Amino acid sequence: MKQQVKLSQKHEHAVEQQSQQRTAREFKNSDELLRFEAAQISVPPEIVQRLQKSTAHDGPTASRPWWKNLFGG
Amino acid sequence: MNEPVAGKCITGERPADWLSADFAGLYDEHCRAIFYLSLRYLGDPQKAQDATHDVFLKAFRRLDQFRGEASVRTWLYRIAINHCQNLCQSWQNRNIHSNADDAVWENSAAPTDSPLRVLETKELGQRIQQTLDALSEEYRLLLLLVADEELSYEEIAVLVGQSADAVRGKLHRARKVFAAHFEKTA
Repeated sequence: MKQQVKLSQKHEHAVEQQSQQRTAREFKNSDELLRFEAAQISVPPEIVQRLQKSTAHDGPTASRPWWKNLFGG
Repeated sequence: MNEPVAGKCITGERPADWLSADFAGLYDEHCRAIFYLSLRYLGDPQKAQDATHDVFLKAFRRLDQFRGEASVRTWLYRIAINHCQNLCQSWQNRNIHSNADDAVWENSAAPTDSPLRVLETKELGQRIQQTLDALSEEYRLLLLLVADEELSYEEIAVLVGQSADAVRGKLHRARKVFAAHFEKTA
């Protein structure tokens, strides 16, 4: 019985170590770390929905001169 | 009409009803960068959401002022930095925010050349925020900008109003301070 408990504890320890190894990461510096996090971030969809409402009265022609500048169109 | 989804171009029968398809493309390309800067600069997801909305709304309304002298991304960053700095300034005026003394950490014996080790990536955001919160606004901004690979040192220099050499020097110190603080969050 004692042996079983010990084995179980060993197993749990091994699983925990494996889990940590899976998630362990090393970053060369803060640039790499922040870059990694930025790539994981999800932009909340609420922002674009709010933008839709906020720009509703502005009219779509506001962007025309800017895009002409950018693409020469 | 398709539902607008962040990170995707908005398409549909009448996209001009709310944003031109071109502006949707601009949002699609840059929203992550602007949201991330806002999130980690302000340290609050809701405020970052508000700030990102405000930045793109300002951009939308000032499209005719964009002369193409800088990249679109740099232009959006300029709007975002001004917006975030104004917010921080108003908080500071109400004594909500305080900055750490970077010099103390610049002189610390922290092993800055050693890699930053992270065991649990799910706690990463919390550790990063704690670390950035401990830095001065100047260092925080520099580190966030240089993390964007699309920005050159020269563009960062223009954004923060300093020379590229000054930016390089400050970044070296900022990385050191970041590493020292980050170790302490483990």
